[in-house]
Amino acid sequence: MGFDRRFLLLCAGEVVVIAVGNIIAAFIIQVIVLALYLEDRRGYPVYAVAAALFAATVVAGGVASLLVMAAALVCGYLALSLYDYRIGLRARGEA
Amino acid sequence: MIRPTRTAEGVAALALALTVVAILVANPASALAAGSLAIFLLWRGWRFERDLAVVINTLSVDRTVERTILRQGATVTVMVRADCTIPQGVEVRLRDIPPAVATAEPPFYPPGRTATYTIRVMAPGETSFGGVVVSARDTFFSRDLIDRRLRSPYIRVFPAGTRSVDGGGKGTGGGEVEVDRRTALAGQSVRGFRPYVAGDDPAQIDWKITARRGTYYVRQLTGLEGGAPLILVDLPARADDRETFVRFMAAVSGAVEAAITSRDGCSILVIAGPEIVRFIPRTEEVRDAFSALAGLEPTEPRLSLYRAPGPAVLAARARSISRETACGERPGAVLAAFVRESGSPFAAVVREALALADAMELRVYSLLPPGDRSHLVQVVGEAKVRGMRVVVFAPAGITAGIPGVDAMEAI
Repeated sequence: MGFDRRFLLLCAGEVVVIAVGNIIAAFIIQVIVLALYLEDRRGYPVYAVAAALFAATVVAGGVASLLVMAAALVCGYLALSLYDYRIGLRARGEA
Repeated sequence: MIRPTRTAEGVAALALALTVVAILVANPASALAAGSLAIFLLWRGWRFERDLAVVINTLSVDRTVERTILRQGATVTVMVRADCTIPQGVEVRLRDIPPAVATAEPPFYPPGRTATYTIRVMAPGETSFGGVVVSARDTFFSRDLIDRRLRSPYIRVFPAGTRSVDGGGKGTGGGEVEVDRRTALAGQSVRGFRPYVAGDDPAQIDWKITARRGTYYVRQLTGLEGGAPLILVDLPARADDRETFVRFMAAVSGAVEAAITSRDGCSILVIAGPEIVRFIPRTEEVRDAFSALAGLEPTEPRLSLYRAPGPAVLAARARSISRETACGERPGAVLAAFVRESGSPFAAVVREALALADAMELRVYSLLPPGDRSHLVQVVGEAKVRGMRVVVFAPAGITAGIPGVDAMEAI
């Protein structure tokens, strides 16, 4: 139930982000909403910087920036897979 | 690869919904919200992987076994404790992987706690634990990882005791015990009779039995049938079914043990495709034999014979063509010339091994996986050149398709 309430709060926060209209203000609210959603905020500045870069892309390109986002996600997923593979190798004693 | 939890799936669904809204309404704020949620998940995945790396790098396992030398079928208690650095927000549980030849149900346990469970070792040989399963999860992702670095201690398993004829076996007396050992006489006494098959020596036909049964019977001499067999272990390239491979190795161990206890020992040749992995000629020591079998795993061969039947089979074909073709001996001579020029290093090594083993029977243990079996064709061909009897032991329902095999038995 606790999880559901937190998730509903996150959804409500996203509605506020959309309703704001201004991209800069939306970015700030988004960072605050997600920070409140998390219990453990280790490394959160890394995410904040990446989100700021994406906000800049949205300011420059509008909705089309989602294409950039998709490409970045694919690259990120590949990088994660490679990192995971290396951890697996290390665990098997092969690296 | 890491798996998303329900929380991560919820966030991903939210991001997807915001993406649809952004595209339909052309709202940059929605695009920002959707993209930042996607980045958020990517960042959490990256953080989880880093935490997982910390766990793996700092993991240490202290495993204690009551006894490390035990008999086949014995049970032994294992105590295991794992320690590692657990990053904040990550939940880690571990589970031991018992030796492949053992049955056990190890429990999940958290780091810093000692878990106790019992294993029963089912096959002889030297074995070790398979490692530990590290199961890590945080709010957004989870991952089960097998750490195979932590396999100690090694366990040596000796076969169950030899059965004596009188059904004894208990106690520690050192008196004479009659064992199920076939005669090892140097002379050629008659061990038994069997129906005549084409190619048998007519001098060995026993006319009394033949007259009594109405069909030809030949004598089986101890000198021919009672020698130490050569046991060939054909390791599969991979074990998709681990249980089948363990059963296969248990069958090999049982055959080696039976050969040593009931005959004059045996020779062991282990191959992985056209590569010789191990060879022990004429051993009568169970320990030596099991040390040769210890630690054998499926091995992907680095070479391929490309379905070449080998010089022995080609030579037989050349002789057959010379005899049967109506146009003289020329085709057979041409093939024979090719045979001389196309020597196989693998066949040559096998020939030397067969000479060293000096066995009259070749027992081939193989899972007979689909694909190239030319290495077995070459081995069997070389064995038939030496007049050996060839028996293939394979899983039931699989046909060998190898020329020269005298009998097939199911593992």
